[in-house]
Amino acid sequence: MLIEAENLNHTYALGTPLAQVALRDVNLQIGPGERVGILGASGSGKTTLVQHLAGLLQPTEGRVLLDGIVAHRRTPAALAQRRRIGIAFQNPEDQIFEQTVFREVAFGPRNLGLSQAEVATRVAWALELVGLNPTLMGGRIPFALSGGEMRRVALAGILAMRPHVLILDEPTAGLDPRGRQELLRRVKRWHQEMGLTLIVVSHNLDELARLVERVVLLKAGRVVADGPARRVLSDAALLRSAGLDVPHSVALLHALRAAGWPVRTDQLLPEEAAAEILRVRRAMEEIR
Amino acid sequence: MNLLLPGMYMAADSPLHRLDPRVKMGASLLLMALPFAAQSPLSQVLLVGLVIAVARLSRAPLLALLRTLRTVFWIGFFMFFFFLFTTPGEVLVNIQGITLTWQGLLAGATQIYRLCLLVIITALLTFTTSSIQLAHGLESVLGPLKRLRLPVAELVMVLTIALRFVPTVFDEIEKLVKAQRARGADFRSGNPWRRMRGWIAVFVPLFVSAFRRAEELAIAMEARGFRGAQHRTRLYQLSLTRADWLAILIVLAVSLIALLVEQRGSLL
Repeated sequence: MLIEAENLNHTYALGTPLAQVALRDVNLQIGPGERVGILGASGSGKTTLVQHLAGLLQPTEGRVLLDGIVAHRRTPAALAQRRRIGIAFQNPEDQIFEQTVFREVAFGPRNLGLSQAEVATRVAWALELVGLNPTLMGGRIPFALSGGEMRRVALAGILAMRPHVLILDEPTAGLDPRGRQELLRRVKRWHQEMGLTLIVVSHNLDELARLVERVVLLKAGRVVADGPARRVLSDAALLRSAGLDVPHSVALLHALRAAGWPVRTDQLLPEEAAAEILRVRRAMEEIR
Repeated sequence: MNLLLPGMYMAADSPLHRLDPRVKMGASLLLMALPFAAQSPLSQVLLVGLVIAVARLSRAPLLALLRTLRTVFWIGFFMFFFFLFTTPGEVLVNIQGITLTWQGLLAGATQIYRLCLLVIITALLTFTTSSIQLAHGLESVLGPLKRLRLPVAELVMVLTIALRFVPTVFDEIEKLVKAQRARGADFRSGNPWRRMRGWIAVFVPLFVSAFRRAEELAIAMEARGFRGAQHRTRLYQLSLTRADWLAILIVLAVSLIALLVEQRGSLL
């Protein structure tokens, strides 16, 4: 699916003294199968932007097109497009309401009007995807699960609708380090196996470095950078001007460079940085 | 939040914001009662004029203020037709035994007018008075009841907390509606059964989070030494300024004139 934001503007509480501009003149194109990170400090408009991309908000100005169809309209065509987009809000476990895990995950597929048998297949499939055993977990009460498990149930509820585009708003917020690692691994696998378009909102640079290939940087509702993750995430001046810091690996490489080592600073992952340091050390030894 | 509702506070600085909450509450009550006591057109013109002047002073945008009337649309709708059909008098239309009277039309319109005034005045009060100020004013006004061993301070605290969470709850509903809409829930069209399922998916999580929030708040209050209200003192003491006295004077004068006009009108 091709997602296009054209001249998108959004103001909350328009026409009241509480009015607050959240997005200004955002232009964006996201093609099928892309992995895009939406990055920005708190209050920079990340969440508003992705809710627009999912067609859940009405723009104050401009529009969002999903394969050429205006996203927020109430037409059947727009509805059909929106249904191809799955969005997990921040803390998606807050939207759990059913009495059993099975029924919770089945809510989406049932709303699609699928048959009982198809719903059951999809629920089992989605629970497997998030690493929960359908036979063991299906009958459990979701509110009695751990926070991490509830999050996975909520994500299964979205995956069960078989979206073409998956939008995750701060997917790892509040998880422990192991839960984070595991979720990131799974998200990457979903992208590979299902050919999903992935849009991830985060202000965790190390996570984005692992997950996405392209980064859109927001500052006060404006897009201030849009490009390959390697370029945006290693540009310390740019990131700091947007109220963020650089990934740990990049910070280390910058420090080494300042100390006189001729390392490249665009290695985002710890293993990449290690390889770069080794390469430079070997080169320096050869010269000596 | 795209809507200002009556009951929400609109943080801003205006002469009306700076008035003493007790004055504003008293004036609101008086002005709300006035259309019932004084019914002549001239007193209504005076009253509406005063409300418009106050609205201008409050710096509340006119549109937002008028939009608050949407909350009572259905009540107003039913009230109008109730009075329209049940008031006896000079027959205006007669359709198969159902009669509409001129008096009924007038009575219905009057009810709507009063309802709108009530809503606008309430909205003006809460737009310009924070819940803490409201509570403080209320506690001070109800103070004498403490002698009767009524837990005034505690009740006011409950009220403050309730008011404090009105916008939070609305934000939460909005977020949940969006989240469940993304999962294919239908709130606007579709059959009633499906719509109801959609609302269940909103209200269950809403209550879950409300209870969690209540528990957290209770713990947070206890952790900061809250032991009921008996030992509580206030950082800001209420005291009437010159502007407050002026406001009292204006409101009393308008009310008095409206009532006098009424008397004269009935004498004539």
